[in-house]
Amino acid sequence: MSLVAERAPYAGRSSVRQWWNNGNALPYLLLLPSAVVIGVVILIPFFEALQYSFTNSSLLEVGKFVGLDNYTKLLSSKDFWNAFRFSVIFALANVIGCYILGLGLALLMNMEMPFRGFFRVALLLPWIIPSVVSIVSWRWMVADHNAVFNQIIQLFGGRPIFFLSNNDWAQFIVVLIKIWRSFPFMMLSLLAALQGIDRSLYEAAALDGATKWKAFWHVTLPQIRDVSIVLCLLMTIWSVNDFDTPFLLTQGGPANSTENFVLLAYKYTFARNDLGTGAAISFVTLIILMVFIVIMLRRQREA
Amino acid sequence: MKSKMAVRRRTTLAFALLAATSVLGISGSASAETVKLQFWDMIWGQPEYIKAAQKIVQDFNKEHPEIQVEYRSIPWSNWYQTFVTAVSSGSAPDISTGAGYQAVQLYKMGAIRPLDGMIEKMKADGDLNDFAPGTVETLRFDNHYVSLPWGLDIRLWYYRPSLLKAAGVEPPKTWEEFRAAAKKLTADGKYGVVASGDTGGSHYVLSSMLNNGGGMFDADRKLTLSSNDRNVEALEWLSGIVADGSMHPASPGYSADDRRATFFRGEAAFSLDSPNIYKQAGAVSDDIAVLPPMQGPHGDTGTIFWVNNIMMYKQTKNPEAAETFVRWWSQNELPLWTEGHTGQIPARQSFLKDAVAGDDRYKYIVDNYIPIGKTTATAYKGIFPALSEVEGEGVLQTLTQQIFQGVPVKDALPQAESRIQEILNK
Amino acid sequence: MSLNSNTLAARWRLFAIMVVIVLVINFPIIVIVANSFQTTEQIMLNRSIIPQHFSFTNYEFLWGQTSFFRFLFNSVIVSGGSMICGVSAASMAGYALSRFKGPVLSIYSQALFVIQMFPIILALIPLFIVFRALELVNSPIPVIIIYTVVHLPFATWMAKAFFDTIPRELEEAAQVDGCSKFQAFLRIVLPLSGPGMAAVSIFSFLFSYNEFFVGSVFLRDESSMTVPIGMQMFMQQFATDWGSLMAAATLAVIPTFILFLMVQKYITYGAVAGGVKG
Repeated sequence: MSLVAERAPYAGRSSVRQWWNNGNALPYLLLLPSAVVIGVVILIPFFEALQYSFTNSSLLEVGKFVGLDNYTKLLSSKDFWNAFRFSVIFALANVIGCYILGLGLALLMNMEMPFRGFFRVALLLPWIIPSVVSIVSWRWMVADHNAVFNQIIQLFGGRPIFFLSNNDWAQFIVVLIKIWRSFPFMMLSLLAALQGIDRSLYEAAALDGATKWKAFWHVTLPQIRDVSIVLCLLMTIWSVNDFDTPFLLTQGGPANSTENFVLLAYKYTFARNDLGTGAAISFVTLIILMVFIVIMLRRQREA
Repeated sequence: MKSKMAVRRRTTLAFALLAATSVLGISGSASAETVKLQFWDMIWGQPEYIKAAQKIVQDFNKEHPEIQVEYRSIPWSNWYQTFVTAVSSGSAPDISTGAGYQAVQLYKMGAIRPLDGMIEKMKADGDLNDFAPGTVETLRFDNHYVSLPWGLDIRLWYYRPSLLKAAGVEPPKTWEEFRAAAKKLTADGKYGVVASGDTGGSHYVLSSMLNNGGGMFDADRKLTLSSNDRNVEALEWLSGIVADGSMHPASPGYSADDRRATFFRGEAAFSLDSPNIYKQAGAVSDDIAVLPPMQGPHGDTGTIFWVNNIMMYKQTKNPEAAETFVRWWSQNELPLWTEGHTGQIPARQSFLKDAVAGDDRYKYIVDNYIPIGKTTATAYKGIFPALSEVEGEGVLQTLTQQIFQGVPVKDALPQAESRIQEILNK
Repeated sequence: MSLNSNTLAARWRLFAIMVVIVLVINFPIIVIVANSFQTTEQIMLNRSIIPQHFSFTNYEFLWGQTSFFRFLFNSVIVSGGSMICGVSAASMAGYALSRFKGPVLSIYSQALFVIQMFPIILALIPLFIVFRALELVNSPIPVIIIYTVVHLPFATWMAKAFFDTIPRELEEAAQVDGCSKFQAFLRIVLPLSGPGMAAVSIFSFLFSYNEFFVGSVFLRDESSMTVPIGMQMFMQQFATDWGSLMAAATLAVIPTFILFLMVQKYITYGAVAGGVKG
């Protein structure tokens, strides 16, 4: 090394080698495997799809360039704003519901109790089950006037509710099932985060005479804050991009009340064979999500 | 170092060769002696249907050792996506059956190889005369026979005689009587009519418009969904049944399977369904009867029907072998009825006798409903590609769900009209 | 500390509360399992969740009618493969994002969010054409690669978040002792990130085990189908046979349930390891 450093003409090469030897290349090497697969699976199709959105392509042939036609047509269509509205309701309700349920259960599961391991697994079940299967079961429980849900309602003297026939109830049940399917993931991640908290922080808080509630507020929450933000943002993305729940339960019905962006894009792409508009919907979704997430991350950084 | 380079060069070469062979379409099977064909068949009945179909294919393979057909059954959900991704990626089958307007739609996309030559031959040797009148011609588009009919599907009203008897109601003959009967039959958690909000539900809307002498199009293929008064009148009739409270409230959210189960359980007295459905009803099968075609307020009769068909794909490398199979299949598919119990009505009249043997209800449907069947394109003569999207895209389902939810016809109809117009304009 | 100072009675009270919660939350699953032991006629007739007569007819039917164990085998290959690929790639990338700074890294990190938002429907048709040219349709390889990528952004973020909770001082100390940066990552950081890695692995495995849409495009042959796709096919063919559907659903859950009972020990272990002070 010292020998190389003495020879001025080779300074350029030596600094590269030095840079390498100091382990500065490590982060890039670590990124390499991910970058390669992402490039192949996402990046290339991404640009191809972006191209489609400016054409009147069908699934079978690349169409003519039509400029922003697909986008302007969308923004003036009723279906688009209907899907926008439901996507927002769906994402918002799911993130809030999931986080409250997930955190509550994570806190419980973080306490000492008999058979804790069993409970932990048992609470993950809704998430373990393939959506194809669990949604069939849910459908069976809510579809009818004498289905399980309505039997319970009638047990308490209520009148049967036709969950899948009424727009509001259908939206409610789709959100409920989505929360049910995704809270275990929230719980698991938060639990791991809770267990990563340095216990001496609690000991210090206890020495200061903090109550349990205060310890939760001043130690637990700040400690899991970053994980929580990431989780909520991801849950937002996943909700907006969720296909299975509305598709398998209601197919977007009744009267399009549970149709979100993905279902609309799917409908245009596959049922109307209008790849151009389908792609445009997906890019509009992408842009809306990006704007939202950039704003959220900005605010988080400022806070 | 040197040897490593050599290895790398050889692998690159191998990849290049692999790419070249796939580009040129050279494959081992093409040069081999037996021809392999892919046949994709929709699930046209209960599980026994698939078994019956597989057995016919086996028989064909035995009789034709030089052609080996591989059978694959295709579920109805996402069928459109299945076919379109297959066609667009170059992995379409050689032959398939499909939904009523699939062939003409795929033809427009350039994916179908018309069966003109085969049909000319069938015309020459008289085989074509076996088909129900008009069915072969229905599938003629752009001066080509895009596919060959095999089954007719139709929707008709069923009722539960025991429920009608208990309420002292005669089977209705007109719409007016139907509405009154449905109202009378609604009591104690039971309803007059049960429907569904899926594609099967949209057949209620189509069927009643056709029953009333209406139709979505005029003779020039112009959309007349809301401008034809007969259509509006038909929707008002359905809407009235809902307003009376005679429609099962779960209908907008039901799937066809839910609807059928409800009807079989005796929780509703009337249901619109396909032929043969009583064969799935188990113990109550005998308590399901076919309602004779009803008259609308102007004395019209009619209902929706489709000519289902078998088609050949442009991507096939062995069109002759594929034609051989299509023709053989068409002549030997009788077990689809006798063993597979499909709900279709055979397009070949020579099959009718065996297909309806010992089943009076089936015979009644063939004799009384088939003659009044009309296509989705009514009053336009013939079919056209956009029909597939009109039926499958979801517009009609949304309209149906809204009607069954009790949304006034005048509010629901304009939206549906403009959506369908958008599809047609494309 | 307060969490450990619960009395025995309090722990059992908590246990009782948890039993109720678990029963309520898992009610739809209990319905599936209970119904799987009734024939379809019984299910439709009495609509009661508690089986009146135990019957194994549905399971016998499944045994004869479906290649369930073939589906299961395929699922394990696909999920295991994408879990290994995903977790390796994500832990490396996550570590890079956690410990190093620079324009490339921050661009990469933002790109991950965009990728996560990207609707996979759009990529499917181009991808299908590519993999078909490589004669990989009906092979688990394209599905493993796509699954890996689809959950990679999230897995990377998770990994990064957990690496962030591990104090840097540990690696610095190891480097003073003569470890390279990479060795410090392998020997010091990875063993400490047990809970995080367990969560990432579970996430990764489950995503792949349950995924339906991508699989249904690539796995067309019955011998290559995973559990959800085979199940969907079965449900289409036997749409009204609730008993068999429920039995199939039950079978689909058992393997992961068993796997989870095993894995959860590692999560507990990770919790202990996380408590070690740096």
